[in-house]
Amino acid sequence: MSRLIAAELLKLRKRGMTWILLYILIGIMILIHVLTYAFSQRAFPGAPADHTGGLQQILGLPLALPLALLFLASLGAVLATIMTASTTGNEYNWGTIRIALISAESRLRFLAAKLISVAIVVFIGMLIGLATGFLMSLITTAMSGNGFDFSFATRSYFWDQFLQFWRTFYVIAFYSLMGFVFAIIGRSAMPGIAVSIGILFFEPLITTLMRAAGGWVSNVPDYLFSANVNAINALTSVPGMFGGGGGGFGGAAVALPSVQHAYVVLGVYILVFLAAGFYLFRKRDVTG
Amino acid sequence: MMEKNDVILKTVGLSKNFGSLKAVSNLNIELYRGDVFAFLGPNGAGKSTTVGMILNLVNPTSGHVELFGRRLSDNPWLALRRIGAVIEGPAFYPYLSGWDNLAVLARSIGGIGNQRITEVLERVNLLDRSKDRYSHYSMGMKQRLGIASTLLRDPELIILDEPTNGLDPAGTKEIRDLIPKLAHESRAVLLCSHLLHEVELVCNRVAILKQGVTLANAPIGELLTQGQVLEVKVADLPGALAVLKTLDWIKSAKVENSSLIVEAPANSGARLNQALAEKGIFASELISRSASLESVFLQLTGGTEVE
Repeated sequence: MSRLIAAELLKLRKRGMTWILLYILIGIMILIHVLTYAFSQRAFPGAPADHTGGLQQILGLPLALPLALLFLASLGAVLATIMTASTTGNEYNWGTIRIALISAESRLRFLAAKLISVAIVVFIGMLIGLATGFLMSLITTAMSGNGFDFSFATRSYFWDQFLQFWRTFYVIAFYSLMGFVFAIIGRSAMPGIAVSIGILFFEPLITTLMRAAGGWVSNVPDYLFSANVNAINALTSVPGMFGGGGGGFGGAAVALPSVQHAYVVLGVYILVFLAAGFYLFRKRDVTG
Repeated sequence: MMEKNDVILKTVGLSKNFGSLKAVSNLNIELYRGDVFAFLGPNGAGKSTTVGMILNLVNPTSGHVELFGRRLSDNPWLALRRIGAVIEGPAFYPYLSGWDNLAVLARSIGGIGNQRITEVLERVNLLDRSKDRYSHYSMGMKQRLGIASTLLRDPELIILDEPTNGLDPAGTKEIRDLIPKLAHESRAVLLCSHLLHEVELVCNRVAILKQGVTLANAPIGELLTQGQVLEVKVADLPGALAVLKTLDWIKSAKVENSSLIVEAPANSGARLNQALAEKGIFASELISRSASLESVFLQLTGGTEVE
């Protein structure tokens, strides 16, 4: 198994796409900080009185880390889904699946090695994203002329961030596995990327319509994806107006399922995606 | 330790259906150590499906594959680690160099060092371009890398699907020379090729498939001597043709370049000459030609072009 993981990591390390996705993550996180900083320096008609202070607060510590995790849960999920789906689906697109399978110990181990190696790269990407958020926070704080105050850096603060890091990983894993299973079903990277990113962007709209419909239909979103993802993301200590504390990005505060409910529902989906992916991969013929 | 002439590969009643389509039907072949076995057939004959079943990529509908004396389904990895294969053309990661592609395979298989990668690249004359990206390779270089990948683990069975596709004449000759050498290193080679002349030069046994059914499975020499082509020169061509058409043991007869071309059973020249003479037609020349693999193939498959 370790041999297969080493081979998969070599493929990911040498692949330009891995680095491009990482640069996109870093670039967008820098851009968000720069734009937020720029907006914090201007007065807008109709903006709340504390608009400047609010934006500077979100850029500075201690909110910078939870904010970075919140971005990772959305932007990171998109990028990780692209990577997972293309890593799996491109084996079919390039025809390398045949030679890979006759070189691997078993189909299941090959697939497991692929997922483990992607998880390792996603983990590293999240650390880099977090470091980028932290560094940008230091830079924008210095540019704003605000002083540095590290009194927030308590054990409890880091424990909260540690837990939120793994919650974010859970959310990313959910979307990535969706990309993974659709890439296997479609025997190509494109169905995996298109279906999961389509769901990631459009399912919240459908969910909003269902909530508005009332009756039993309004309860259905509790068993879908975005409501449960938002329930987990809401645990972050970022204020609601910036996407934390409930409601998701820019969303009005809505009744979210409980966190336990969210873990269970997403966990069931993760198990279904894994089982379906492994079953299909093991059973299906690999033909030209 | 297996000896030369041990059975390396055996298929027993191997069949595969895709829905109502019978891709392979009751295939029984045996491949011995030292064999260069050719797998021939028109498009859709079931060659690739069979190779897929041998490599555990396609599940048989019925029957089974035995490799190195054991059922493949018992422990596929144990058997597959002794096989090197290029299936339906070479396929590698386009963003990696030739070297890195082999390094990925080496890591997957395990126990293969950089020295072995160098050796196999050298063997297929690709070492000097091994650091170039695979996507920049010509078709010939891709084929060479494919063959190098099969040699990586020093296999006992090599499966090559169209190994000379895209190669220039010099490259084709090089690969053609390499194939029998590979088999002589106490391996077996299973070759799927559409170049019948090539197959005739390098293979010792052949199976011909059509629509999943085995039409022939024999040593090439035996297959070629099953039939005989006779060129007969006579003054009265229409008269001779009429006589031959009355003989039920003549497979076919036609006029070509002022001669009769007759397909007849082996060693039937004297019998044919006698039949003509009895009707007062005397052959001025009677030349025996052994059938080519191409003519046997076309005869068996009903003139369909090979894949």
